Amino acid sequence: MRLRSLTAAALVGLASFSQSHASEAIDTCVFDIIGSSGDQYQMMQDYALNMREHGVRLDLIPYTDESVALAEFSSGSCDILVATDLRTRRFNRFTGTLSAVGAIPSYDELKTVMKVLASEGAAKHMVNGDYEVLGIFPLGAGYLFVTDRSIDTAADLAGKRIATLDYQKDAIHMVNYVNGSVEPSDITNFGGKFNNRSVDAAYAPAFAYEALELYRGVSDDGGIVRYPLAQLTAQVIARKGVVDSETAQKAREVAYSMFDDTMELIRRYEEGIPESSWVDIPDKDIDDYQEMFRQNRIQLRDGEDSDGNSVSQVYDGDMLTLLRRVRCRENPDASECTASDRE
Amino acid sequence: MFKPLQLLPSRSLRPVLVALVASLFVAGCGIHPIYTPTGQVLSGYGESHATPYVLEMDDIGMACSLGESLDPLLYSFKRVKANPETTGSLLQVLAGICAEREAVEEELRYLRAEHKNDLSGMRDARNAMQRKYGATANRRLKAFNRGMTAFRFDPASQVEELDCPCYRNDQDELTFMMALLSGAQAVLDDAKAGGRAGVSRSLAPQVERAAACLDSEKWGGLPGNIRAVIWVLLPDTRPDDDLDPWAVMKANREVAMAAGMRTAMALELVMAENVGRTETVAEVLAFLAESEERFVVRPEYQLVDLVGMEVALFVSDRIWTDRYGYRTPSNRFGRISDEQEQDESINTEGLL
Repeated sequence: MRLRSLTAAALVGLASFSQSHASEAIDTCVFDIIGSSGDQYQMMQDYALNMREHGVRLDLIPYTDESVALAEFSSGSCDILVATDLRTRRFNRFTGTLSAVGAIPSYDELKTVMKVLASEGAAKHMVNGDYEVLGIFPLGAGYLFVTDRSIDTAADLAGKRIATLDYQKDAIHMVNYVNGSVEPSDITNFGGKFNNRSVDAAYAPAFAYEALELYRGVSDDGGIVRYPLAQLTAQVIARKGVVDSETAQKAREVAYSMFDDTMELIRRYEEGIPESSWVDIPDKDIDDYQEMFRQNRIQLRDGEDSDGNSVSQVYDGDMLTLLRRVRCRENPDASECTASDRE
Repeated sequence: MFKPLQLLPSRSLRPVLVALVASLFVAGCGIHPIYTPTGQVLSGYGESHATPYVLEMDDIGMACSLGESLDPLLYSFKRVKANPETTGSLLQVLAGICAEREAVEEELRYLRAEHKNDLSGMRDARNAMQRKYGATANRRLKAFNRGMTAFRFDPASQVEELDCPCYRNDQDELTFMMALLSGAQAVLDDAKAGGRAGVSRSLAPQVERAAACLDSEKWGGLPGNIRAVIWVLLPDTRPDDDLDPWAVMKANREVAMAAGMRTAMALELVMAENVGRTETVAEVLAFLAESEERFVVRPEYQLVDLVGMEVALFVSDRIWTDRYGYRTPSNRFGRISDEQEQDESINTEGLL
């Protein structure tokens, strides 16, 4: 009897030890341009809460400078990084290709892609070297903001100064492609440049319209071109082994389960932009742009432009194929679906 | 020589004045030459300006605080015969909202404790909840009684023939309706309070009869639903045995939408929750969430609509807390389950 109670006590002790070990908080560096009161941070708090149900505790640390968050993660100060895919591309090129130019033209297609990525079948793509993707959240489509609403064709961008994130190689390539002038910027200063009109155009999600006061730059004569240039996402990158693979899969499913809620917020931002500020472009032009974007993606995948010159190899071919399949399921008659050089 | 009598009015006026002063004192009911007119002015201002202003408000918390803080001041003028019944009724309606908010918080605490199997927590929360619902029922009973007094309507004596009040304007109708709604709510609240407020159950049939004095369509189906919830509680009060109160309330959903005031649906929800009609609760919550985009509020009675929506949220919160231990998460209003909807419409086969 006594032996039994001793064994039970030992088991209880072991159980409580393993419990406390399992629930040790994982330091998580979270980038949000406005810190802990920002949407991205709030979204992460919901994610962290949901993860508690799977025995994972995240200790969120806000960073308003994405490069600092990245540096902290790289130096080992935190084991999980939450940042835009433009920054996390280096840890996983497959998921980092989600924001490829013009690759996901609608939010319905984005949802399909997200569902695929949260499935068990995609798990192998989520691990790359020492890192694993634990979740992907939409941040909204990036749109072209122009100071002059007559800039509504790609040809009009020739010679125009375009605020371009200096670490975003695909964007730099795209600006060069349309013969625009690259104005190197970062997330913290492109809004100011657009508003004081030291640039003619900038690209950003709808969220920036109010948060970065881009309405000042848009003013009466500017506008926002109603065409999603790219789908920006926030990605949760963990050092491999921080959570086991089963939990990692659960984490991705948790992130996907939050998709609709996140999209509601994004839609609210887009609806908050006055109708008069949007610039619509004709359907026939859209077809041409889609082909232009496609050519760009292929070049950025192969690392070679149409003249055989070397360019940055930014995009992952498997992801581009997945995105092409999703587009072609939505629009099977598109010429790209039967093109010999389809992605 | 000093002639004090010269300060008094002429001999002919003197008896009139004496009679007037005497009548003030003889009345013995506290009519005061300054306070009484002040009360009448305040009461008049309350009816003409403050009430319409408050009914347009979109801040429920501020409106209910106003009811709590202003009622003792305004209604104290009853002591000097200033007749503040109409505004006094509405102030108690507002104060009832504050009390209900507190009661619901305790009710949610009870449900959370139950979810955690925390027995002492459950007992404590239940006691607190009953006290708060008792206070809510008290306020709503006052709102009902004052409303009836304001319109000189004796609900107990209207059994054989209905002698409806004369309304001067829409605000009068609304005030009468809110008083009746408070009467119905007082009965329900007192039940949750374990009978602490001692609200007579006979109020229910009285309210049912009196609600026929209002045009249901004009008021977004609310008078009709006040009657219908009482038909559910007391089936004998139905004018026709074949009348299905749930069908009446279902039909009133679109009536409420058209009138720009969804409060009737809150009543349907509360009653459905009361009798355990989970499908009806789910249906109404889903309807409210889905119809949000097409709904256009009647601006002059925005507060009434919002209070109804808050009650709907309370119902939703109780269901969520009962099931999961937490209140309705953001973006889940309209659903009573946290289970993920299957994205069957999205076929991901062969994409990867």
